[in-house]
Amino acid sequence: MASTKCPKCAAPVPFDTGVKFVKCPYCSSQIYIDRTGAGFYYALPFMVTESDSVGMFKRWAAGSTKAKDLDKLAQLAGVKRQYFPVYMFKRDVNGVEQVLIETAGSTTLPGLHNLKVPAGDLKVFDAAFDTQGAELVKPDIEMTSYLSTLPGKPKEQALVYFPIWKIDYVFNQKKYGVVIDASSGEVFSAEFPTRSSMAYMAVAFIGFLAFIGEGLLATSSLVAGAGLMVVTVIGVFAAALYVSRRM
Amino acid sequence: MDISVGLNCPTCGGAISLPEGETTISCQYCGSALFVEGDQGVTTIAFKNKALKDAAVASTQHWWTHGLKARDLKKVGKINEAYPIYLPFWKTTTRVAGWICGYEERRHTDQKGNVRVEKIPKEVMVLQDYVFSEIACDPGDLGIRTLKNMVGETSFADFDMIPTFEATTSKDAAVTKAKGDALAKARASAHVPHVTFEKLHVFAKALTMIYYPIWVVRYSYRDRMYMDTVDGVTGQVMSGRAPGDPLFQALAVTFGAAGGGLVAAGSIIYAGASYANDVRIAGVGLVVGAVILFLAYRFFRHGSERVQGEFKEKHAGVGDLLKQAQQVSKTLEGLR
Repeated sequence: MASTKCPKCAAPVPFDTGVKFVKCPYCSSQIYIDRTGAGFYYALPFMVTESDSVGMFKRWAAGSTKAKDLDKLAQLAGVKRQYFPVYMFKRDVNGVEQVLIETAGSTTLPGLHNLKVPAGDLKVFDAAFDTQGAELVKPDIEMTSYLSTLPGKPKEQALVYFPIWKIDYVFNQKKYGVVIDASSGEVFSAEFPTRSSMAYMAVAFIGFLAFIGEGLLATSSLVAGAGLMVVTVIGVFAAALYVSRRM
Repeated sequence: MDISVGLNCPTCGGAISLPEGETTISCQYCGSALFVEGDQGVTTIAFKNKALKDAAVASTQHWWTHGLKARDLKKVGKINEAYPIYLPFWKTTTRVAGWICGYEERRHTDQKGNVRVEKIPKEVMVLQDYVFSEIACDPGDLGIRTLKNMVGETSFADFDMIPTFEATTSKDAAVTKAKGDALAKARASAHVPHVTFEKLHVFAKALTMIYYPIWVVRYSYRDRMYMDTVDGVTGQVMSGRAPGDPLFQALAVTFGAAGGGLVAAGSIIYAGASYANDVRIAGVGLVVGAVILFLAYRFFRHGSERVQGEFKEKHAGVGDLLKQAQQVSKTLEGLR
């Protein structure tokens, strides 16, 4: 909760993020929060614990495009709790509201191709905000350097810290990194060990061709065709089960 | 510069009570009619969170047993936590009014095989309201992008206790997208295949911010952390991820290859046996068999994780398949 002064009775008036109109609890005056000329500091709280973030990494690593058993074979080289800064500008461009997200630092997150403010419960970032021991990535680009170049007129400008878990892991003597958004649970990665689709395609295609051949064979000799089909069903199933479990 | 601006009645100086999103108000002291200009905000409503934690957990466990998920998920799966959040949504009502003129073609074939094309003029009036909803922040990994349920009790009673996700997207961008969506739907509803004239007007009638209660349920399965979301009003699972089962993957490709192969073989046999000896029948059969095989293969390849909801990976599926096709062609070129 941020606080401002009532212009009528000078009492402190708390207001929440995103609220435009607020009522003074003492003199009942209506107050409009004008954000056009002030820069706000927001932060999203951590909603994912460290053990949960490791579990999310393992779920991501068990995906069908990752190397087989990456979730079991990857060795964690470090789990770091961080707050990453981005600038969020709301501008009035020819009467149309635009939301622009700009980078606040020279460091970038792996896999985060488009800068964004993740979904979360924005809190005012002040001395009372509990960072839970997270490392703050300092913004090294001033907000004022953007204000002169952005189009339109200002409506709101804010520095938003969003929480991330940075996980480094080693697989086949190579180091990789992954970033987990600790507010909504999304996983970002730039590069990861991949799994080939050749075995899957081979099972499907060979089975398809085998059944075409046996279907044609069944016209001349039904018993032989049907028998071969039974054998092929068992063979394709066994091969598919092996591939889906092991490859 | 001060960030707080006091709002007073210009006639008597009394205090004004003004909800966000309203533009006209009457002073309670002197009765003057007042108009508010400037940044007026957006009308905001919040649905009441009706589902309890036990209901969200039960909904998740019920969801585990359906839809080709891991067979031991009910036994091995363990609910770690469940907490409610409020998600912001833009909801707009857009009216489309106007006319669409054009024609449709009908083909008539007589006994001699001559084809005559008849043009039938069409003139359709459009007058329809369309409701559009979109999440007002980045959906992340929640898998929710639109609002499905618009019915429920509205209340701000729980608003302070439940974490509320803030709107971080532009309301004008949502209105623009809603207008485009309404225009496309209006054109489709007219059913005019060949349009020669069109005059449609699009009005944005109302824009509302809806805070919708959602339960986030996190559960673990063999050291992996999964998540699903449960509707706080209806109690149903909205989106989620769950582990798949290799048995179902193997069964899918086995029956897909068998079905596709037999369809292709049957069409080849039928084409050879028919009097016309039509090659097109064999071609169509091969294509149908290949499609059956492809659908089964896709589940075989990516069925290790079952996904429900509006995740962005679903949209990227076609791109991934194109990349795989390119990889296969490169491999074949290498072998050649």
